[in-house]
Amino acid sequence: MKKSWMIAAVAAAMLMSGCSQKEPEVDMTKQAASQETAAPAVTEADHGLSTVAGGEEVSDISTLPEDARMAQIKAIEAEAKKIYFDFDKYNIRPDQEPNVDYDADLFSSDKAKDLTIKIEGNCDEWGTDEYNYALGLKRAKTVRDALAVKGIDNSRMVMVSYGESNPVCTEHTKECWAKNRRVEFELLP
Amino acid sequence: MRIFLLMMLGLFLYGSDATLEIIKSADNRPNVVMQDASTFGNDLIKQKFFRLLVGDFKVSAHFKVDATYRQAGYEDMVDPMLKSSDYLVRYRFREGEGQALFMDMRAYALPAADIIYERSYRVANRARYPFLIHQALIDFNDFLKMPSVAWMKRYVVFSEYTRPKNADIVVADYTLTYRKTLVSGGLNIFPKWADRQQQGIYYTKVGKRRPVLYHFNIYTGQQRKVATSDGMLVCSDVSRDGRRLLLTMAPDGQPDIYQYDTTSGMKQRLTFYSGIDVSAQYIDGERRIVFVSDRLGYPNIFASKIGSRAVQQLVFHGKNNNACSAHGKYIVYSSRESDNAFSANTFNLYLISTQTDYIRRLTASGVNQFPKFSDDGESVMYIKHYASQSALGIIRLDYNEGFLFPLKGRRIQSIDW
Repeated sequence: MKKSWMIAAVAAAMLMSGCSQKEPEVDMTKQAASQETAAPAVTEADHGLSTVAGGEEVSDISTLPEDARMAQIKAIEAEAKKIYFDFDKYNIRPDQEPNVDYDADLFSSDKAKDLTIKIEGNCDEWGTDEYNYALGLKRAKTVRDALAVKGIDNSRMVMVSYGESNPVCTEHTKECWAKNRRVEFELLP
Repeated sequence: MRIFLLMMLGLFLYGSDATLEIIKSADNRPNVVMQDASTFGNDLIKQKFFRLLVGDFKVSAHFKVDATYRQAGYEDMVDPMLKSSDYLVRYRFREGEGQALFMDMRAYALPAADIIYERSYRVANRARYPFLIHQALIDFNDFLKMPSVAWMKRYVVFSEYTRPKNADIVVADYTLTYRKTLVSGGLNIFPKWADRQQQGIYYTKVGKRRPVLYHFNIYTGQQRKVATSDGMLVCSDVSRDGRRLLLTMAPDGQPDIYQYDTTSGMKQRLTFYSGIDVSAQYIDGERRIVFVSDRLGYPNIFASKIGSRAVQQLVFHGKNNNACSAHGKYIVYSSRESDNAFSANTFNLYLISTQTDYIRRLTASGVNQFPKFSDDGESVMYIKHYASQSALGIIRLDYNEGFLFPLKGRRIQSIDW
């Protein structure tokens, strides 16, 4: 039995070498194909994980490095607190100061300290035209200045006003308008 | 004789100052009655066309128009019942090849019932029907030697919110019935005509990090970047020759007014206040500007000479005057009437002149915003919200008359005429 294997192997080797001299390219593909089909040496690496009890298996296999970073940035963004304003005003209300402190700490933390902070000023639907956009911008600026006082570098911060164009609430109620008069943050890598 | 003198006085006053309201005027405008002889469209479309034509007649303020919808054949005899009017206008919309649409219009002088006027108009695409109607009205008005209403065929450009952080730039006829989107994708705001011929517009695109001002040619679609600034950038006025722009820019988050020379690219800062200065427009032969500022703690209207830091308060009434439009010596502004921002009667429009102290109230109810002068300064366009309805309003200043066109579910960001 063993002998016949040997003969077969030698014959195969001779056949291959003979072929390779004549038509190397065809031979190469044949060789690759034969290796693929005859790949018996598969080692199980589950280490018995299939039988471990528990929930869904996760190891960030689908998350590329940049996506992971973006997801992390979005998570920090979601953590940031919005700053709310009074009607037609752009000064920071006393009740909003703790939120500014919180945001300053968050943005200077290790996980966020390399990010650019885009400060977005927003207004309710009650202003018209340019004045509303300017009001949104002044709101962004007061927040930027407050963050700068708390140690955030000015060069890390950019401001944009969205005026009344980005409402979080679209009902026509006082409560709803109050929710729209806000500064929120977008973090950029 | 006394009546004659009063009328003369009235004419003199209205000729000299539009801020003076005409309380009573002898109404000798011609009566117009209309008949529809259209072969195009179902009843709904016919009614729509009729309402727009009635609107044009009313907005011209040169006619007393009978708004009763009547039908007749184009060649029918004139109904003797109508002969108490001055003119019968009979019109007919008919289909053309492809998408083309024709409008024939004929006028009979009454009671003689002679045909005194007849014209035909065509548009290649039926969606442009408002321009058929506007042109027909302009020509009929000219034929009767009334003051021109040629402004009716001018375009209006506006920005309309589509969803959060997104707005499109749209070109329209003056009633916003015809609309065509020029720029979409992203937040495109504050469109402003770049030249009197309405070839191009300036508009602001709010980018990821900063806003950019573009010039856009509405015929070729060519676009070029004009300027960029931190935080905010708006073109609020263009000089008559198109060479200078008034911009609101906010380097370091501080909105101030700048004059920009389009030929040299030089910018000159015109205001120096640490609060909000916006919405600058040229007045008094473009030697001065009017603008909105919160330097008194609330938004109000101020003026300043170009090149001088001195600022003059123009309006001494209202708690919140946050939008204005200027033409020559006239300024129309929107004013919040009470401290309660959420009461039913909220914003009204007022007209003032830089030469007099008079104030003329233009609207009486509802939320009236976005005032804009027409190119000839004789009319003011605005958006009215009242009892959960929105409308586009036109006020004819010299005639003390207004007209509203319904606006369904549009959220206008800014408008220019």
